[in-house]
Amino acid sequence: MGPDDASWAEMRRLPLDPDTDPLALEDETVERLLAGELSPDQAPPGYAEVAELLAAATAAPTHGELAGQAAALAELRAVTRARRAPAHVRRAARPPRRRWVGLAAVALVGALVTGGAAVAATGQLLEPVREVARSILDTVGGADSAASTAPGPPASAPATRAAGPGGGGQGPPPTAAADRGRGTTGAAPGANPDLEGLCQAYLAGKGSEQGRKLAATAFEALARAAGGPDQVDAYCQDLLPGAAKPEKEQNPPSDDQGQEHGQGQGGPPSSTGGGTERTVSSPGPSSPAR
Amino acid sequence: MIGPEFPAVLSAAARGDEEAFGRLWHDLQPRVLRYFAVVSPAAAEDLASETWLGVVRGIERFRGTEPAFRAWVFTIARHEAVDWWRRAARRPTENLAVDGLMEQVAPDDPAAAAVEGFSTRAALAVVATLPADQAEAIVLRVVAGLEVNQVAEIMDRRPNTVRVLTHRGLRRLAERLGDDARIRRVV
Repeated sequence: MGPDDASWAEMRRLPLDPDTDPLALEDETVERLLAGELSPDQAPPGYAEVAELLAAATAAPTHGELAGQAAALAELRAVTRARRAPAHVRRAARPPRRRWVGLAAVALVGALVTGGAAVAATGQLLEPVREVARSILDTVGGADSAASTAPGPPASAPATRAAGPGGGGQGPPPTAAADRGRGTTGAAPGANPDLEGLCQAYLAGKGSEQGRKLAATAFEALARAAGGPDQVDAYCQDLLPGAAKPEKEQNPPSDDQGQEHGQGQGGPPSSTGGGTERTVSSPGPSSPAR
Repeated sequence: MIGPEFPAVLSAAARGDEEAFGRLWHDLQPRVLRYFAVVSPAAAEDLASETWLGVVRGIERFRGTEPAFRAWVFTIARHEAVDWWRRAARRPTENLAVDGLMEQVAPDDPAAAAVEGFSTRAALAVVATLPADQAEAIVLRVVAGLEVNQVAEIMDRRPNTVRVLTHRGLRRLAERLGDDARIRRVV
């Protein structure tokens, strides 16, 4: 009750009269601003920057923000298995917390690279993430030998790794992109590596229904850049002259990552793909056990 | 938004289907991260992970529509945030990450920033400078995409209070950003 009372008092004091307050807003205008229905041009006087800010706050996800999927799925896998497993196995089934935190650290590095500019860097994150996810998978079954050290390296590796597999064909050298991400703000070209990464993810996932669905958000962003969903193919082929073929997606994730795969988010869906088949198809029929 | 497929996706995810869960995650994780970037930026990644852990554990029992699911996820997220605020209150020196964010609000080259517009992180950092309840109400409305009543329930406030908080928050943002824009024009 207390805080509410204060706010009620505030509301009564809130200047709503346009004559006395140039920034007064109608309730309906507030709703439209919040819903992103007003572009900076359409926003009421004094609110153009607010409209711009709210649009930025709801911009398409960056790679960094989507870097932790493998970890979330590993958690799901562990919990699902634990539910189905007999009680005596259950204790071992959850990956120890510190691994989860290690993965969060990996994702954090990705997210800290700002503005989606440093896709090359975050793209490199995916493989370490995948490695850790795989090690979790292996560990869930029992032993925890090599896996216990796994979270360490990936957390610190991305920055240095960025220079590694970058030999792959097109696009700006990873180091350049990484610098841009770390620097003040990526200027206009910052958008390009991002779209390249998305294109790679899109093309990599195109072969499998799964990849396509998981990349839905990326696809929206691409469609916007390309000028429509049906333009995405051509747009990506232009952007990535040596574009990947969908078959890539069918390879087991342990295969050497070709130049295309080092980047973008073709990664998580592909490792997920393997996982899904393994876990879902076998316990599926017996799942009522739960 | 997942849309008409949501019920099927939800029940598949609840059975442990990773593709389905991946879709839910993909849809909500950026929003969850951005929520935490505003309400507890020093621990955003960890708290998002904890939130998904809560989702994984509870999804089997969840019943409801997509908007309700979204509100449920943010209910879990807020519990994580509240826990973290309590813990942080006992260790008051944990504000380093906020400083990191603030650097991005004031980039080295304001002209470039003006041309480029706001990056998402900078935008969230600006929202985070509002009084905490205004910032939270705005981020839940805008970024999480929740209705007033859902936000009210999550924040444990009345719907009218949420309206006032968002209104005041927007107004304050307009004041602040307007001043900033005027300064930029003068410089």
